[in-house]
Amino acid sequence: MSYKLGIDVGGTFTDAVLINNNVVHNKGKIPTDKDNLLETIVNAMDLLDISKQKIEQITISTTLVTNAILQNRLPEVNLLLFPGSGMKLSSLPWPVNYEVLEGELDFRGREVNPPNQQEWKQLVERLKSSLNPQIAISGKFSHRNNIYEEQLASYLQKELPKADIALGSQLGQTNFYRRSLTTYLNLASQVQFLEFASQLKSAIDTRKCTAPIRVLKADGGVLPLSKIRPVESIYSGPAASVLGALAQSSSEDSYVVVDIGGTTTDIGLVLSGSPLISAQGAKIGSFLTNVRSLAVRSVPVGGDSVVLMENNKLKLANYRLGPAFCIGGYNPTPTDALRYLNLTDYGSHARAEESLASLLPESKRQPQDIRELAEEVVRIMVDRIGQAIEELQQEWQDEPAYKVWEVLHHHEDLEFYIQLSGGGASGIANALADRMNARTVLTDFSEVSNAIGAAMAKPTFSWTLNLDTYLGRYRIEETGEQGKWEGSKKPHREVEQFLKDLAYRQAETMGIEGSSLQKDQFDYFPLVESYNTVGQIIRGGMHVPPGVSGRIVK
Amino acid sequence: MKKTGIVFFPAFDWSLGESHPEREERLLYTQEQIFEEGIIDLPQVKQYSPGVANLFDVMLTQAVFPTPHRHKLDAHLIAVGSSMILSKALMNKEISNGFAMVRPPGHHSGATVWGNRGFCTLNNEAILVNNLRSQYGIKKVAIIDTDVHHGDGTQDVFYHDPNVLCISIHQDGRTLFPGTGFTDEQGGPNAWKSTVNIPLLPGVGDEGFLYALENWILPRVSEFKPDIIINSAGQDNHFTDPLASMNCTARGYGKITDMIKPNLAVLEGGYSIQGALPYINMAIFLALAGEDYSGVIEPHKPTRSEIGGETFRTFLAGLKQQHDNLRPNWTLRQEPYLPAGEWVYLEKSVFYDTDWFKENRREYIRKCDHCGGTVLMITQNLMTFEKAALVRIPFQACDTCEQAGYDLAEHFKKAEKTLLLQNQLRNQVHLWSQGEEVSLFES
Ligand SMILES: [Zn+2]
Ligand SMILES: [Zn+2]
Repeated sequence: MSYKLGIDVGGTFTDAVLINNNVVHNKGKIPTDKDNLLETIVNAMDLLDISKQKIEQITISTTLVTNAILQNRLPEVNLLLFPGSGMKLSSLPWPVNYEVLEGELDFRGREVNPPNQQEWKQLVERLKSSLNPQIAISGKFSHRNNIYEEQLASYLQKELPKADIALGSQLGQTNFYRRSLTTYLNLASQVQFLEFASQLKSAIDTRKCTAPIRVLKADGGVLPLSKIRPVESIYSGPAASVLGALAQSSSEDSYVVVDIGGTTTDIGLVLSGSPLISAQGAKIGSFLTNVRSLAVRSVPVGGDSVVLMENNKLKLANYRLGPAFCIGGYNPTPTDALRYLNLTDYGSHARAEESLASLLPESKRQPQDIRELAEEVVRIMVDRIGQAIEELQQEWQDEPAYKVWEVLHHHEDLEFYIQLSGGGASGIANALADRMNARTVLTDFSEVSNAIGAAMAKPTFSWTLNLDTYLGRYRIEETGEQGKWEGSKKPHREVEQFLKDLAYRQAETMGIEGSSLQKDQFDYFPLVESYNTVGQIIRGGMHVPPGVSGRIVK
Repeated sequence: MKKTGIVFFPAFDWSLGESHPEREERLLYTQEQIFEEGIIDLPQVKQYSPGVANLFDVMLTQAVFPTPHRHKLDAHLIAVGSSMILSKALMNKEISNGFAMVRPPGHHSGATVWGNRGFCTLNNEAILVNNLRSQYGIKKVAIIDTDVHHGDGTQDVFYHDPNVLCISIHQDGRTLFPGTGFTDEQGGPNAWKSTVNIPLLPGVGDEGFLYALENWILPRVSEFKPDIIINSAGQDNHFTDPLASMNCTARGYGKITDMIKPNLAVLEGGYSIQGALPYINMAIFLALAGEDYSGVIEPHKPTRSEIGGETFRTFLAGLKQQHDNLRPNWTLRQEPYLPAGEWVYLEKSVFYDTDWFKENRREYIRKCDHCGGTVLMITQNLMTFEKAALVRIPFQACDTCEQAGYDLAEHFKKAEKTLLLQNQLRNQVHLWSQGEEVSLFES
């Protein structure tokens, strides 16, 4: 008998579950200590008494990197750019400083202007004083040709042996701006993440557990602790919500996932059993990144959001000041409104009434007044969630399409229901069903749904190929691998096999089963010069989509 | 914040032939360039996903004969529909301007359509403009065509329409397809001077274009007082274009855009797909978004000799004089089926270079002091010998012209195998084939 352990570190609470053969064996919930996530995780494990079971795998969804970025607790990184010509860098908002270097490539990665070695020398002079310089190098079109990044990196490594250097080309998706910022964030969060990883590992070791540790990513997949890029672990919470719903519903359903937390409600979309992935990378704080993420919305409203009366207008604050009044807190919250209306039975009805009444002038505290107030609180909450759902469905409708076929077969009409989880979910179910004109379904293990999602998550990865047979170069976006192509100038099957072999080989090292790899559409662009076809640009991919390893049985 | 919209539809699975200039690869490097630069991340930029136009919108503006169902229109309907996504966003005030970077192009496609010519089957801008007039009450539109080729299709669609000003600046038709666009083409009897053609000598560059804009095009536009300005933003005036012989740069196109200040730019031609398109598309878009495009520099330098300075200014002054001095000379015609009034008669021959055949067309325009005048076109495809008639009741038609349109339709429903009634006044379209009405909504 072996067990899967899932832990989701949320902003307010940390959930943990132990799953055996798709059955929830044990579950628990403890408050999150924001200043000590490691201890929180270890406490959650101890709560479930993991040393008593044989654990086959541990999956962690953590806000470590998210918090470090949002709270601005990252070390300084020297960001060196090869922007070449084109749009001015200052057209886009750069949340960090950068330094511009000479050297330009074009859109196929061909050299236009070489770098200036003199600049590099001066750079070393300036960085020399730093004990352990953190250096991120990013060039426009480096995802097509990493030559300048590599040259500068090896020069700097020789001159500054203590430097930590990261290259933009290793995060090889198109978009120089996002690639640069993502490279920056990844390098900046590396030290904290590695420290966290090693402490976590030893904490687990001392509990005589040898299970591999996996980390949940924003795209709803997992990777081994040692393989993940720290920045990919951002926004794993909303991803865990979606996976939690996935593990507790039928495999072909289409639904909106609504997970109500203490201060935020996470919303996701599942289309015929597959979570919708955002067409753009994640935005975190003032950083736009190319981190692949599920298309989710986090609405700053939850069961513990403080209800305020400002100038006779009811407002839901986007913060929490402890638990709801009806369960011993100090402020009126949506939880109190739901309790007062008897939509939930959690907490004291009398206290719920007291808290709501406190918002009204003394002359207007009749049951009818309080009732109207409570209904208004629920209405505001449901309306905010409803708007976010509509936005997300619009995002799905607005996915870009670049081929005739894609436009003509854009989106089939799907019928969505709403899969609700989290505190107070049952309380708003009817109101939300009315607002969205859709039926709602309550998740069985509502309070630990995220931890279930983490425990059941499968690995994800993609290999997106860009091959220019004329220039004889191929690149893999996600790994940053760039190499020589020695095959035919106009290959067909050959190139699909080439990518398949490469992906299978690398999947193995990541603990991904080859059978879960799916082939994407391959696009062949004939390259024409003076009416002759001289080669091809080929784009194609293999990927492992996000999903769960089984369905939870009650 | 003033928003700039973009719809990018490169039709990566559509071409007119593997090594044809209008092929899958055409916007490949533009995609690489604009997405690598991160223009979609500019705070004022909103990207829209493509749309599909319906046949009603098409047939209100263009008579696709013998029926639209006989043509392969998928890619063209998406190019039109995508452009219309932006015009709708403009009308809904979501954006203040926008760029439809779409394939295939459209400005060689005219009032009657028997096939593909100059790589165009449907006219993106023309259909969009009439949709704005029928759905949003737009009255006056200026279309400025900066493609190196004469925008003959757009001119043809609006030739009798006094409320659409069509200005085309292009390489002289004696040296380039489609061989038209001379100063004597200035509009039909009720729309004289609403068409302006500025044919240039090969070799003109940024300087000449900007001079012509400042001294001829822009004054004419502001005199016309359009509600909306559309730019047919062809990019084949670039110094690397393989089909033409001009000398413009990407930054020059940025400046042209800055001066025209179009509400919408719609991509037309441009076949230097590596040397020009990625850079010009960037420059035009940055200009629309109010960003600095001075850093958009092509890797190559111009090598063609440029015509500018005094030589150009003298040339243009002569051309303008010739244009201004022209007076029309209309031929009137009587036919038994023509309702009361004076009818101007015109003849036209259209060459479909993609499929290599000719169309012959006779046009009758009702002279009218109150409206654009009802138009009758009788056209024949000289490859298949099929014939068809088009009757157009114009926007804001007067009562007499409206009635004349119905009378003509009544006659040609029986007299011709195919008849299209474009009732722009009442926003109605009827297509008859052998006396039976054909639905535009089945595929
Ligand atoms: Zn052209
Ligand atoms: Zn009239």
